[in-house]
Amino acid sequence: MKISESDVEYVAGLANLEALPDEKKELAEQLSRILDYVEQLNRLDVSSVEPTPQVVAGGKHAVRDDRVVARTGSSEAGRTVQLFKVPKVITER
Amino acid sequence: MNLKNITADRLVSLYRSRDLSATEVITEAFREIDRADKDIRAFISLCPERALEEARRVDSRVAAGESIGPLAGVPIAIKDNIATRGVATTCGSKILQGYVPPYSATAVDRLRGAGAIVIGKTNLDEFAMGSSTENSGFFVTRNPHNLERVPGGSSGGSAASVAAGLSLVALGSDTGGSVRQPASFCGVVGLKPTYGRVSRYGLVAFASSLDQIGVLAKTVRECAQTLEIMGGFDAYDSTSAEIPIEGVARNLDRPIRGIRIGIPREYFVEGMDREVKDRLMAGVKLYEGLGCEIHDISLPHTEYAIAAYYLIATAEASSNLARYDGVRYGLRENGAGGLHEMYRKTRMSGFGKEVKRRILLGTYALSAGYYDAYYLKALRVRTLILRDFQKAFERVDLVLTPTAPTAAFKIGEKIDDPLSMYLSDIFTITCNLAGLPGVSIPCGKNSEGLPIGLQLMANHFQESLLLQAAHNFEKAGGFEIS
Repeated sequence: MKISESDVEYVAGLANLEALPDEKKELAEQLSRILDYVEQLNRLDVSSVEPTPQVVAGGKHAVRDDRVVARTGSSEAGRTVQLFKVPKVITER
Repeated sequence: MNLKNITADRLVSLYRSRDLSATEVITEAFREIDRADKDIRAFISLCPERALEEARRVDSRVAAGESIGPLAGVPIAIKDNIATRGVATTCGSKILQGYVPPYSATAVDRLRGAGAIVIGKTNLDEFAMGSSTENSGFFVTRNPHNLERVPGGSSGGSAASVAAGLSLVALGSDTGGSVRQPASFCGVVGLKPTYGRVSRYGLVAFASSLDQIGVLAKTVRECAQTLEIMGGFDAYDSTSAEIPIEGVARNLDRPIRGIRIGIPREYFVEGMDREVKDRLMAGVKLYEGLGCEIHDISLPHTEYAIAAYYLIATAEASSNLARYDGVRYGLRENGAGGLHEMYRKTRMSGFGKEVKRRILLGTYALSAGYYDAYYLKALRVRTLILRDFQKAFERVDLVLTPTAPTAAFKIGEKIDDPLSMYLSDIFTITCNLAGLPGVSIPCGKNSEGLPIGLQLMANHFQESLLLQAAHNFEKAGGFEIS
């Protein structure tokens, strides 16, 4: 699989990253090599095999009662991050 | 007193008999860190005041005639991707610089509750992505056996701190071998428990379906004791298992005669380091001598493991690391142009090269048009790998392999070639894909004096048998210190 520099740019945009001009070529090459390597999975016919997203004990997730409990640190959360102040989201046209 | 020559058991018995105080030991540990860690650089941060205060508390309990547990007053180091309330937790990343968690991981809380003393946070590959600790956003950690070599990774700081006698026990995390491989490179024991055995609450997520907190120590017994304390069900992690964990340390000395050990032929591939193979084969002989049955087995899908792993792990990472956007944690770059610019600028300057590379790969594998071809296919291959093991465990009790294809490599040797770095994880990642417990134990050194590790894997939740076999090996092989 050949990854082009514009593919790198596109994927970087999806991931909220930017590919710097001097990194683009190297990244395209490295990702192409890695994807070439993973192509070997195509040697297997797995169309009838179920996917395994996670191996969980007993095959099911534990659930707890829906009940409010005091948690350590919850009062500190706001303080350490300055109440999540962010730059303005809406800009004028 | 040097921590290199003592175990937790011995230390605690000296506390109990009042021949030694925790205050002395912790003071001495920080003195040793002062002296040795400027070369090794295992620690990102230290917490001496708090540690000494806790040491005094252990001493006064002993003075008051109260009983103390197996890890009371024992200095332990925590990998810096495990949350510690009030102590900076960076994940080795500039993007989390200055972040102080308002809570501790369940594993840390339980260990501290049992009297273990957290002395500091150890270096790692940024967000645990790497096999050498060279990808840390701050500095490189060196192998105490040879300062020109890597300590392995990503829990390189934790492995180095134990090997150098800077801490007695250290927590690490293992997503593809990140506890076992550095244990092998540094000549210590490294345990990765079954997925679900230890709560992941407070472990900063890299790849959630593969991550597991593990432990590094000089002896199997210390690993077993630590596991017993930190493991078990936790309501804060929906994947944690409600399966009892008691008795692991108590059963260590049981003989292992008649235990069936499988040697998967796919793991003894062309190109394996000669000396690694020789040490391994000597290890197999030792098990035979202990009365174990050795079986040739096959895990036929092993060759696909790295490809599947690097698709699954990066896909999960790209999703998990989306939260580092400058809003909630650590670093925030100026976003004069609005919110999206702030996100992008923060992520560009906060993440290192390898993390960005993996986010890109994972994003690509999940993106429209490629999801089925890459991510979903990898999950299906994962099923085949799991089935291989299920089949094998019908015939054998344990699987024995090398931990890594080589001993510790040189600093700088693989850093510019990500694929060859990924390939060095070949023997450890199947365990994570299948959710199994695995342990790396020292099995000798090569001609350059570098340690070599032997890996054992067991079926889900069979840590007791796994560690029993590991303990019998270290005892019989003379690798045990007491």
